[in-house]
Amino acid sequence: MRESTSNWGRNRNTIRHTPKSLGSVSQTVILGVLVLIVGMIYVAQGTKATNYDYELSSLEGEISELEMKKEDLAVERARLTSVAVAQDSEVAVAMEDAQVSGYAD
Amino acid sequence: MKKRTNILRFCLLFAVGVIAVRLFFIQIIQHSEWVAKADAQHTLKNTIMAKRGEIYMMDGDEAVAVVMNETVYTLIVDPMMADEEKTKEVVEEYAKDNLVAKWEDVFKNKTRRYYIVARNVSRASVEKIREEELIGVSFQENTKRVYPEGELASGLLGFVNLDGKGQYGVEGSLNTELAGTNGLLKTVSDVNNIALSIGDNNIKVPAEDGKNIVLTIDRNVQYAVEKALANGMERTGATNASAIVMNPNNGEILAVANLPTYNASEYWNVKDAGSYINYVFDDPIEPASVCKTFTFSAAIDLGAMTPETTYYNAGYTTVDGWKIENAYKGLIGTVSMQTALGWSLNTGSIQALRLMGGDADAINQSGREKLYDYYYNKFGLGQKTGVEIYEANVAIADPNVGNGRDSMYANMTFGQNIQLTMLQVAAAFSSVVNGGEYYTPTIVAGEVKDGEFIEADKKEAVRRTISETTSATMRDMLVKARKVWKNAVDKKGYTVGGKSGTAQAIKNGQYVFDETYATYIGFGSEKGEMPAYVVMVRLWADGKTMNGGNDALPVFTEISDYMIDYLKLKPTE
Repeated sequence: MRESTSNWGRNRNTIRHTPKSLGSVSQTVILGVLVLIVGMIYVAQGTKATNYDYELSSLEGEISELEMKKEDLAVERARLTSVAVAQDSEVAVAMEDAQVSGYAD
Repeated sequence: MKKRTNILRFCLLFAVGVIAVRLFFIQIIQHSEWVAKADAQHTLKNTIMAKRGEIYMMDGDEAVAVVMNETVYTLIVDPMMADEEKTKEVVEEYAKDNLVAKWEDVFKNKTRRYYIVARNVSRASVEKIREEELIGVSFQENTKRVYPEGELASGLLGFVNLDGKGQYGVEGSLNTELAGTNGLLKTVSDVNNIALSIGDNNIKVPAEDGKNIVLTIDRNVQYAVEKALANGMERTGATNASAIVMNPNNGEILAVANLPTYNASEYWNVKDAGSYINYVFDDPIEPASVCKTFTFSAAIDLGAMTPETTYYNAGYTTVDGWKIENAYKGLIGTVSMQTALGWSLNTGSIQALRLMGGDADAINQSGREKLYDYYYNKFGLGQKTGVEIYEANVAIADPNVGNGRDSMYANMTFGQNIQLTMLQVAAAFSSVVNGGEYYTPTIVAGEVKDGEFIEADKKEAVRRTISETTSATMRDMLVKARKVWKNAVDKKGYTVGGKSGTAQAIKNGQYVFDETYATYIGFGSEKGEMPAYVVMVRLWADGKTMNGGNDALPVFTEISDYMIDYLKLKPTE
């Protein structure tokens, strides 16, 4: 019985080095995806800026509202502390003229 | 088959050609036009309104707002959309006092989309109405001036018209400072008109708010003066009254009152436009015998006379052929200059003018020129004072140019043939009694910035009018002159002096005999001290003869008494 002379090589791993490269379709797809990602980032940033604008607008509205309330309160305070109101107040009306009895240096 | 294809190809080419040409027109030829249209749609261009500055008065050492801003709303109804019954019910409940339209008119024509139903609706009311979620009701925001002190000092403060422009008084004179400068916002906006920061040509120039001006006016003094004037008008039947109170030691004006006052927030309801006038600053008048104070000051300062100098009072004197009489017909004989001032004898002030010229028997050029020098150059009579707000143009007659100079100058010694504002008279009088220094009257105390009162620089005296000795002599003469009037009853323990004036009114350039107005000017102080206040009062009414001593003096007394208390002057037994 004769052993096959080629058996010795059955389990030999043979490696063949060949240069790998993406095909043109893959390249186009990847480029497209990259462009899409960059575009999405751009849109996201734009939307983020716009969101800030809405937030800013809302805050400005609140500030304006609070300022108006502050002005209203200042006007009311001024009305309540006006000379005429003070002079006509119950306390002022009930006051009597001071009687001067003497002076001290 | 090929023919059809060619036709189709030709049609397609033609269509493409048409589109290309059209695009060329739109993008190249009409480029600017379309860019402008696009910009108009998505560009927000708003004026950022500057906030009008508030006006403050003093309350002792504190500045308090007397003219403020308030946000109010105009209520607009869209009759086509609005529910008539519900709208009426809600608006009547919260804005009844602000209605400017009748409901039947609002809903008469339901195709109309815009009807102003109420104005000056408060923010609180608007919030209540908004809670009702009415359809077809909208609001437009506005700012209006509010006056927490009501009609106080209305003649001085003025008002702001519907265009937002200051009219009369402080509002008119200092409009530029109060108005500020509007800003600009130009930016890309979304469909809701919300400004977005995207875009390259956004502009935001912030508004510069108007100055918050603080007046030297003390609101307590102002209130007391207006009250005293009102009492005086009631007592005498005068229809108008004005007064000014000054601190003679620095020129600060503490009160400027003009009665009747008006409601500046509804200035359009004023029937007599005369109410808008600040008579103290804007109305030149013949100040009458209060001017004797200046004539006597000049003559004493020149050394031409003393209070004890005597002359013969015949009850009249003749100048340039004109007989000039005294108002008071008594005291015929030899009298002193002190008596002449106290009894307001015109012959006395004319004699002072003669003495100034060095000739006791006649008025001469030297006397006229000397009086002019004191009146115009020293006391500033006949020229604007330089106060920060509007004042009338006035003039004084040249001592040498023109006919009848002697009689003209004789009349000027007792305040006729000369037109002055009360402001000028009060400022000059202050220098007579304060030791002889003239201060430019001032009404602006500073400004309020970021809630803090920033005081303006104090003004220095600008010139000497008379010597300190003359000033002391004049104070003494004025105290004695005041005592001539039996009704001049002052608080005990103080020095109060003054001079009355009764002037003939001038109508259409002619003196009239059935109308005189009453003036009084005086000062008050602790005994032996410099005057703490100067007050001038004027009362008048059409067709009424009024007298300085009887009608204006009591008003002065009331104000003087108040000032003594308010300034906490210490009495001396």
